[in-house]
Amino acid sequence: METKAVIHKFILDELAKGRKKNISEDEDLLGEGIIDSLGILQLVAFIEEKFNYTVPDEDVVIENFMSVNAISNYLDQKLVK
Amino acid sequence: MKYRYLLHHGVFENAESAPSQVAIRYMREELTYQQLAEKSAQLANYLQKAGVGRGDRVGIYMNKNIYSAVAIYGILIAGAAYVPLDPFAPTERLSFVINDCGIKFIITNESKSEQLSEIIKQTQLSGLIGIQNNPEIKIPATSWEKIFTLPSSPPLLSLVEQDLAYILYTSGSTGTPKGIMHTHRSGLSFAEWAVQTYQVNSTDRISNHAPLHFDLSTFDFFASSIAGATTIIIPEGITKLPASMAKWIQDEKITIWYSVPFALIQMLERGNLESKDLSSLRWILFAGEPFPTKHLRTLMNKLPWVKFSNLYGPTETNVCTYYHVPLLPPDSDEPIPIGIACENIEDIVVDSNGNQLPEGEIGELLIRGGTVMKGYWGRPDLTEKGFCRRPVFGYCEDIFYRTGDLVQKLPDGNYKFLGRKDRQIKTRGYRVELDEVEAALLSHPTVHEAAAYPVPDVEGSNLIEAAVILVEGGNLSEDDLIKHLSGRLPNYAIPAKIIISDDFPRTSTGKINRRELQEIALTRNKS
Repeated sequence: METKAVIHKFILDELAKGRKKNISEDEDLLGEGIIDSLGILQLVAFIEEKFNYTVPDEDVVIENFMSVNAISNYLDQKLVK
Repeated sequence: MKYRYLLHHGVFENAESAPSQVAIRYMREELTYQQLAEKSAQLANYLQKAGVGRGDRVGIYMNKNIYSAVAIYGILIAGAAYVPLDPFAPTERLSFVINDCGIKFIITNESKSEQLSEIIKQTQLSGLIGIQNNPEIKIPATSWEKIFTLPSSPPLLSLVEQDLAYILYTSGSTGTPKGIMHTHRSGLSFAEWAVQTYQVNSTDRISNHAPLHFDLSTFDFFASSIAGATTIIIPEGITKLPASMAKWIQDEKITIWYSVPFALIQMLERGNLESKDLSSLRWILFAGEPFPTKHLRTLMNKLPWVKFSNLYGPTETNVCTYYHVPLLPPDSDEPIPIGIACENIEDIVVDSNGNQLPEGEIGELLIRGGTVMKGYWGRPDLTEKGFCRRPVFGYCEDIFYRTGDLVQKLPDGNYKFLGRKDRQIKTRGYRVELDEVEAALLSHPTVHEAAAYPVPDVEGSNLIEAAVILVEGGNLSEDDLIKHLSGRLPNYAIPAKIIISDDFPRTSTGKINRRELQEIALTRNKS
């Protein structure tokens, strides 16, 4: 599965937990409460395990984590290197 | 000192004395005191014309934005009480609240249209404010643009300080939320105390981190408007991201930060505080649950110029004790006390029969004073249980609120918090009745028995875990149950884990042994 699909699936299945049936790739995950403060920790832990990449605390900011697209763009950039 | 008896007086005082001072800031938008006073009065005029009167309830249902403050003050000026609706709660729960206190009008924004079309089917709303008319939503809507064409002087109304100002709904043990009613007086008694105690003044830039349905937000708005300070609303998305949150404090030059300990612990651990300039901060206030001493000490060492204060009090009493945290010894993780009673509060400790105990003995804390709530909306039975009437001065009786919290007065006069009398817990600062979680699990027809219990986590807070036994021949997964709960409980009250088992550990009388379930969970988490 490509990065975007993996992230999308994790957020929908594990973090939204039935509260949302669909999440669009540009939807504001944080502002709309789809991911809460515990959820962001789970998401970072999931990314670190799945992609074997340590996300620096300074990178866990709104620009990189606000939507499925933002997260996958961020990861695509980091994972190439 | 001015005599204020209504919560919106501060806004009008400052609109006169410092009209161009910024009252509210959200991202790049700002409202001066004059603009806030005028726009709030315009909303009040609209509400009055729409038939909202003294004592009516008006909902606020939106992600926080620059008009959050206009909504609060506009409702108050109209003589009504504001009821903040958790923007992320399931619609069934919100419909319950709307029906429970008879809300007819809701102030909202476009992001909630989907939820509102659900809510409208389950309630009897007459109108929405803050959005354009929308064919999907079958009741009239009035936009801010229209409201801001109305007269900007406040409607003439006679209000008294005992009038209802706001209702905050919290978890109730019977399975439905209960509405805590505060008056202008009880809100002001707290806000004016806070302004004096923390010397809030017009140079302060106060963060608003808490959601409006959380009582910490009353400090952020009301203490600020009395002092003529600026309240800066943190965008919802940033509250989840510790590094963004710390940078926001730096960029917005926050002087007083107020939140639950969890937000501060997150910033301490993942906010890279060293790389930020946080020199504007002068007070960090925290409340909602205990701040683990080892984290607090580390935070205080990183920010040695900041003063720290622990504020304690159930939503029913606002804040009733406080503790200015001194330098913490490096060798002890002893929990910090909740402190001494606020100057406007009378505190006594009683045994289970209601007899007052001598100083130093463990008992339940009772509170009397102007900050105590009026009661629970529509629930005289619960109000009666929450209050007790006791003789004072030997010749009259007065109301004390039973906190349900066990405390002990230390030799230095500070109270130590020792836990709850009942099954209420705190998770990330939110108050949850475990009975409500169990009731929600039991509402699934396939669930035969349910137990919910707190599991302490490393950050000093609690996660909720639950175990269920299904009816014979029943077949359900953990996911099914979580989906069932997500329509009934707010997100923070949904168990992090639900175990489906064949039987529970029992006490000798056959009751579910929740303590043992909790110990099993703790052992599992350790290994």
